[in-house]
Order: sequence, then structure tokens, then C-alpha cells
Amino acid sequence: MNTHKKLSRRSFLKWTGISTAIMVMDSPLRNFDVAYAFGEHPQEKPRYLVKKKVPQVCARACECDCHYDIVVGVDQVTGLERALTIEGRPEDPVARGKYCIKAMGFVDGMYNPDRLLVALKRTNPKRGEGEDPGWITVKTEDAVNEIIAKMKTYSRDEMLFACPGDPYTNRLCRSLGVSRSDQRTECFGTHYYLNSLMITNPPNKYYSSTYTVTHSLWGFDYSQTKYMLWFGFDSFSKTAKAGILNHIVEGKRNGTKIVFFNPVRTPLTDGMADEYYAIKPGTDLAVALAMIKVIIDNKLYQTDFLRDYSDAGVLIDVATKKRLTDAQGTWLAWSNTEKKAVPVNTVKDMAFDGGPFTFDHNGQQITAKPVLQLLQENVKDCTPEWAQQVSEVPAADIDRIAREFAQAAPTVCIPNLKRDAAGPNYSNSWRLMQSINILHMLTGSLDHDGAVLFLSGVKIPWLEDVDPIVKPYPELPASPADYRDQFPVTDNIYKNKDFSAPGHYGMVGHGLYHKKNIKMLFFRGPHRGLFALIQPQMTEAAMMDMDLVVDWNLYPDDNAYWCDYVLPAPHQYEESKLDIRQYYPKWPCLVGGDPVQKPPGDVIGWGKVANMIGMALAPEYWTTDGSSDPAKLIKGNMYDPALKAVGAAETKAEFMKDKDGFWIDKKPYENYKTIREIGYGRPDGRVKMYVDEFAEVGFDGLPTFQPRWTSPEGEYEFSLLITRSGWHMHADPNFIDNPVLNKLSEKNRVDCVWISPNAGKKLNLQNGDEVILETNPKHMPELPRPVKSKVFMSSRITRDDCVMLFHGIGHRSKWLKHGVWGYRDGDLIPQKDPAICKQHDPTGMGWVEDVYVRIKKA
Amino acid sequence: MKQYAILLDSRFCTGCNSCFYKCVQENRLHDVAANGNTRTVVQINDEGMYHQRCMHCLEPTCVDNCPKKALTKSDYGPVLWDTNVCIRCGTCVQKCPFHVPMLDQEHNQIVKCSMCAHRELGKDEQAIPACVQVCPTGALEFGERAAMVAKAQQMAKAGGMHIYGLEENGGTSMLILSKADPTAVGYPAVDKFKAGMSPVAMGGTAVGVVAVAAAAYAGLKKYSARRTEIAKDE
Repeated sequence: MNTHKKLSRRSFLKWTGISTAIMVMDSPLRNFDVAYAFGEHPQEKPRYLVKKKVPQVCARACECDCHYDIVVGVDQVTGLERALTIEGRPEDPVARGKYCIKAMGFVDGMYNPDRLLVALKRTNPKRGEGEDPGWITVKTEDAVNEIIAKMKTYSRDEMLFACPGDPYTNRLCRSLGVSRSDQRTECFGTHYYLNSLMITNPPNKYYSSTYTVTHSLWGFDYSQTKYMLWFGFDSFSKTAKAGILNHIVEGKRNGTKIVFFNPVRTPLTDGMADEYYAIKPGTDLAVALAMIKVIIDNKLYQTDFLRDYSDAGVLIDVATKKRLTDAQGTWLAWSNTEKKAVPVNTVKDMAFDGGPFTFDHNGQQITAKPVLQLLQENVKDCTPEWAQQVSEVPAADIDRIAREFAQAAPTVCIPNLKRDAAGPNYSNSWRLMQSINILHMLTGSLDHDGAVLFLSGVKIPWLEDVDPIVKPYPELPASPADYRDQFPVTDNIYKNKDFSAPGHYGMVGHGLYHKKNIKMLFFRGPHRGLFALIQPQMTEAAMMDMDLVVDWNLYPDDNAYWCDYVLPAPHQYEESKLDIRQYYPKWPCLVGGDPVQKPPGDVIGWGKVANMIGMALAPEYWTTDGSSDPAKLIKGNMYDPALKAVGAAETKAEFMKDKDGFWIDKKPYENYKTIREIGYGRPDGRVKMYVDEFAEVGFDGLPTFQPRWTSPEGEYEFSLLITRSGWHMHADPNFIDNPVLNKLSEKNRVDCVWISPNAGKKLNLQNGDEVILETNPKHMPELPRPVKSKVFMSSRITRDDCVMLFHGIGHRSKWLKHGVWGYRDGDLIPQKDPAICKQHDPTGMGWVEDVYVRIKKA
Repeated sequence: MKQYAILLDSRFCTGCNSCFYKCVQENRLHDVAANGNTRTVVQINDEGMYHQRCMHCLEPTCVDNCPKKALTKSDYGPVLWDTNVCIRCGTCVQKCPFHVPMLDQEHNQIVKCSMCAHRELGKDEQAIPACVQVCPTGALEFGERAAMVAKAQQMAKAGGMHIYGLEENGGTSMLILSKADPTAVGYPAVDKFKAGMSPVAMGGTAVGVVAVAAAAYAGLKKYSARRTEIAKDE
């Protein structure tokens, strides 16, 4: 039987038709969604599994030193266990559970493939940008020993450490008798020195921190204060400081009034300014002096505070400009009822004004006036109308703001830290800082709840405290590269009171280039190198002929082009830490951090570097008994005593294990207690308006107006404003070598220079045009280096006579895969000739924005 | 199930972009972010801070237009993207009136906020998106949408502020309070209407009404004609 079936034409057409119909039709199930049970959608699945949380303290992103946990887990994408992100700790009085973009950037920085994990040694003697050093890798300890061998051939005058004043650097420099200079001058200098001279009186029992600059009064009670004045305080960099932002916003929600003076309208201005004034750059001092005048003339000051805690009534000899004291050194004030000079702490009817008082003092006829009287005379011409002419802030507003500020006292403050107008931006910034401190004194807002908070009840000791030296340190160089010796006011603090005092980075390049006496330059990075310097081209030129240049750093950054050795440093999250809460010291508090991981590769800690050099070159200062026995090496245990002193724990290990790295004593804030403990004349301490040290070097002891160093000339008409994005700092490769952050910078035009739309129109510019910025050669006669950049026109630049640059970009190191982009602001800012500097500023700071530039289309 | 929303009080956004980087770390988006593709980012504009991020529309255009239904609107608020279903056609990128989804071709994915759905939003009452958690000023707030809307309306009235997201594209689960006009800040000007009243939906409704009326008319006409025929026959 034939079972083969033939397909009929009819059947063929039927099945073909059906098949085609099915093919061209969508599936009948096509509109059924892929259904997931709740929580089963792919986007409802976590991307990592948390393994542990490690307490840490931020040490380098800014001075807030936020306390938080580093989250370590398994990344579901890579399957690797690593630090992934951060989680806040609500109990920390500073951060209150918050943290910032930089802290998170640091987490990823630990795994940056460009990170240095071995020591590099140069083989090509030819230095300079773009030159190949011919690196060879060497064992890190061998590299340090080779460095030590070379150091033995130099005198102490021939070596310079470009390092911050941490305990180990201090001991190293002091034991070797060599100079230390560091970048903080350009960020903290005027605040530091004026606070030291007027308030904190170093050394004292509280202000010394292992990780932050000492003697900086950063504890502003933003959340409780009623009235704040911000003299350029709201730079772009402040937009990301989580440790202060959370407090500022709470205050704002509670009704704090904030008045902004700034030629830039920042994002903080948008949301938080009750009043905004586009002040002329470098004239904030005029406004501050006018406010002082209004408050004094109308007797709006806090008399009790001035009498009990300040030198407002202390007598100054009008002939000698010296402060009058009794035989015990106690300051004298004039008693209105007794009609005589008496010790300031005993006078009940103190004269704040009047005089001159003439009387017999130690057998001499003296004519003297109270400090407040002298201050009133100093500011007699500083009317609001005059200040308006100088600053372009309306006189009526200055007068009103001064009165409002005084009426809201004592819960008022003028926050100041780092690069605001009182930072070392202008040649008159030191006078502004003095005026700000005086405004705080007139309003009784220093060391007061709701105003400027002072540290109390807690201190981390210095190395010398726990491992005392057995014989005095050698003398320091008489003529250091940064010209400290020519500035006795600051040199005295550095040499005799606080060796952590900021160095003169604004002049060190000038000294290296002109003196040519330094043979060894040792940078302690990261971000202490060239990009932290103004006019780095001077230091670069000086390093071309130097015998030995060393950098201890997390990355081979720009310095490496000139370095003989680059030593690999640990990441900050690989370090053990203990810290006070200097940004919000309302209560005594200690926080601790544990290493997230063991430093990888052949990384060496700074303490070990210092120990090795110290033991090789000056062992008597590095052993407990002054011998050279390595078994007697100092222990450097600064944490256990700090914890024991407050009863937090017996040891750091116990503190981390049992207290999870946190201790606080939430007792009520005792107003003015710390002033008594640390101020001048302690234990009945006071703060000083009159700075004797200024008078001793030919400046007035009280503020007077002085204009900035530079002025617009011809085409050099744009005043330089420097800011920093919230996600950068000093071109730290942790951030600039991060491709994610680089895209963010592009999106926010951080790679551009910003000018006002009017200025751009005048220069016939379009957004994105290439421009060249050039410093007035009159003020930068040597080694100029114009800056080339794209331009962005923004109405945030509220004056047509300014140009704003972003600091923290402009790397040139070819060893950073993503890091080489942007301009470097420092190229435009002259290193200071000390002869010029000391005519204007006894503190010898950097005057970072005291620059006018020309802008031309490239 | 409760529907959630994020409320941004722009007055307290400083443009720090901590939300941006936290999102990158939370969702392990380093590779796509390095290409400039982001789930959330803040652009510091002259008139204010522009948050470019998914608005989580109540009636998402991307969901309506996705040919593979790779985008879905969850019951609790977020619009979610399914990598297993998506064919990377880019329709959502083209259709989103807020210009939000990004197609990262190198890493073959759509980059769009999920409101951190993986944090068990809707299940864990304490759960909040990572961006809200990290915001140093508390400018971002998370809660039930009805409560967020009420709060936004109250604050807008008290502070003379605009609310963006109440009616934009039918309302969104991302609400922005702004002193300046949001469109001047950088937010796109999109059609405004109440949920369920979109021009497209309303257009469809109109067609339906006409069709029903026509059918009714035709039916009645047929009925009348038949009755006439019957009457004639009788």
C-alpha cells in the first residue's frame, strides 16, 4: 500500500496561508508583562552585600574630620570584597550622620590603578616636566636608607621639609634642626596666626590636634546662632562640607539671619542668603571697620564681656605703644572711681574710653589710653559712607547690619576658615581677621553657646608629651628658605610656641629660586606639592639643580618630574586614628578610626619614615633614654593617654572594640570657661584686641584700613577669584584622577574660567572660547606662566571686574591615567618677595587673590 | 500599597553632588558614570540647581511607549527598568519628556534612577533612597507621595515657591520646590495635566465616545429601519 501522502495544491495553499498568518500576527501573548513577585525585579536586588563596617575619621578631605563608617562588602558585579561606600554616624556631633562627596571619592581612591605601591628611583638625571625619569623600582626601606645616606652629607641649612606640622614631622625637623614649611599658609595662615595672637595664646591645654591645624577656631554654632556675617565664607568649596552644612541648614530652618558679602553668588547664596552684597574684592576690611565704628560709637557692645574677658580697658602707653603691666605682669586698666591704674582683674569701674590718663608708673610719668579708646580713634574716619565708597556696599545697609548684629549678640558669629576674605587672600586679610575677632569680642560671642564654640575638656597629646626629649633640640636654621626669620611675629610662634605653625609657602618658592642654598627638598604629600604652591614655576626651576628631591605620596604626581625618589604612602583609610571634634566642640568628644585594610604593596607609613631618618641622623631624640639603641625607640602612643584622661578607655584597641570608636560627655556648654583657661593672663585668661607683636614690628596694634597690594592697570583689570569645586582639593589625585568626578566637573564647567556675561560681551567672547589669562607683569616679573582655558559666562559672577578660577585641577603627571586636564590657578599668583611682603603684612602670608589679570581670546 | 515620592527643597541644595556619587557607589555605576551617564546628577546653573534624574511619572511616557514593556511603573512609586527584557532600542530615551533615561552603548544598559528600589522601599518602613540618605543638608526628603505633596503645597504657599512635578506630565513621584521658575533653572517645560487626564488618554476617550455614539446611532437607525419594514409588511 502506498502510504505516501501527496500534498494537494489546496492543502499547500491552506497551510501556507495559516503559517504566514501566524508569522505576521503578533503573538497572542505579546502583551503579557514579565511578572516579578514584589522584591524580585532585577532593580529590586542589591548590588552589593555588606560584610562589615569599619569606623573611620576623615582626615584629609577638609578640616571637619567627619566620623563615619566605611562599608566593606562584596560587589555583585565583580565579586570582589572591598570598601564600597560610607555610612554616616548620627552620634558624631560634627557630621551628625552625614558625609560628603570627597569622603566617598577617597573610598574609590584606595583602588585607583594609578596608586603608587612601590618606591620609585630616578635613573635619568635630567629633570623637568615631560622628561622621563627612567624610573626603577626599589624596595622602599632601601630607598629610605639611600635617602638617609645622602642626607648625611648635607648641613641642616641645606635641607627643607615641605610638610605639615604633624607630630612625627615636628620631631624629625626639630631633632635634625631643619626647617619645615607647608601649604597651610595659603589656606589657614591669617586665621591661625591672628587667632594665636589674639585668642588661643599657644601653647595651651586644648588647641593641639594630631590631624588638623591647631589654634584654628572652627567651632561656629551655626545651628543655634541668630545672626551671621559671611565675608566670602561661602566659596564653592563650602558647598560640600557636610560637617558644617548640616548645622548651617538647621540654623537656617530655625531662622538664622545670614548676610553675604561676596563678588560671587554661590549656590549657598541662592538658598540661604537673607541679604547679598556683591562686594568689591579685597574691601571687606572697610565694611568690618565701619561696623566696628557703628558699634563702638553707639555703645552697642557687650560691656560685661569686654570688662571681664578682654583687654578693651587695658592701658596702652601712647608713647611706646606698649601694654602697661604691674610687677607681676598683670595688665593694668584705669579705674574711673579710684582715678588710677589698677590690675585689670580687680577694677570694677573700668574706663573703656576717655583719656589720655597721665600717671606715675614705676617712677615714670606715663600717658596711656584704654584699648577701646584707641580703637575708636583708629576707626573714626571709617564711616559707613566711607566704606560704601571703598566696597560698594550701601552705607545705610552697613549701618543697619552693624546694629542688627550687635542687637542679636551674643548669639552671633562671623564664620571664618580657610579661603574666605580673611584667609590669606589679600595683603589686608590679616587686618580683616583681626577686625572679625574684634567684632566677636564687641559682641561677646567668643566661647559662647550659640556663637563661637571653643574646645574644652579633651586633648590628644603631642609626641613630646608622651615621649619627652632628653636634651634640648638643636637650633633651627638662621636663614630658612621661606624667610620665616624676616617675620618675627610668626617666627616667634613657630620657634617658641607651636612648631606646627603654618610655614610661608607664599614665599618658599621665591626663597628656593633666589637663595639656592637648599640641596634637599622633602615633600610629605599628598597634595603638599607643586599644585598646592602659588607660582610653582619658581620651585620647579629651583628643583632643576637640586641634589635630592623626595616625595612621600599616594601617587606619582607632578612632583615626580623633579623627584629622585617617590615613596609610596598609605591611604588615609589605611591608618588608625583618634580625633577631637574641633569643628563643633560643644561637648568634649573623641572619635576613633581603624584601618580598613592593610596598606598594600611596599607602602611605608610616615611614622616609620621619620623613625628611620631620626634614628640614623639624630638617635638621641628618637629613643626613650637618649641612646642610639633601637630597642629604646620611642613608642609614640598618643592615643591611649588621651582616652585614659577622660575615662573613655584604657587603650585605643579597647576604645574601638568596646566603645565602637566614640566617646562624648554631653555636659552643658560653659560660656567663657575656655577663655579663662587658655587666654592671656591665664588662669584668669582674656582675649586681646590689641596685638602688641604688631606694634613691636612697626605696625599699629589695632586695625586700620589699608588697601590691597595690587590695583587694576590697563588691560590687567580682572581681579582674580579662586574657588574650588566641592569634589576637589589641591589637585589631589584621589579626585582629579577619578573619571566619574571628571565628568561631573565637565558638566559643571569646572574646567572653565568664569566671568560675568557683561565682561564676556565686552571681550567679544562666547561660551567655550579659549582664553589666555596673564598676570600683570609688574607684579610677576619673573617666570610668568599664563593660563589657557575655556571660558564660561555666568551671572553667578556678579561683578564685571572679576574672573573666577577653580583650584584643585591642572595636573600634568603622565602617570595619572585620568588626571591630566584643566588649568592650574597657582601659575597666575606670584610668589612674594619678602621685602614687599613685610611692608604690608607682618604675618607674611600668600595673598592668593591679590592679583589682577588680563583676559585675551586665545 | 503606599506610593512614595522624593521631595527636593531646592533652597537647601548646594550642588555638592553627594547624591550623584552616592548613587554611583550604591548602584556600582562607576563605568557608566565615567561615560557621563548618570542616574542622578546636579548641574549648578545660573538660576539654581537642576537635578537631572527620573521623575518617576504617575503615568510614565517611557512605560507607555516601551515596545517590550521593559519599563514598568511599580505600585509603590518608582519606574523600574528590566535589563532582561529591554532590547536597548532607545525609545524611552527619545520619548521621555524630561530627557532623563540614558543609553550607555558601551555597557549596553539604560541608565535611569530606580529610586533605590533594592533598599526594600515599600517593605521596610525605614528604607529611604541613597541620595536622600546622603544629602548633607536634608534638601531631599522621602515619604508617602500624598504626604510629600501636602508638605510641598504648604511650603510653597509659605515660601512663595513653585512646585514642579504636581502636574508635569500628569504628576510625578519626584517633586521639586523652587524659588525660581523651575524651567528657568533647567527643568524641561512639559505638558501639565492631572493624572488620568492626559491629552492622549483624553483623545482616546473622545474617539471611544464618538464610536459608541456612532454605533448607537447606527443601531437605532437599523432598529428604526427594521421597524419601518415590519410596519410596511404588516
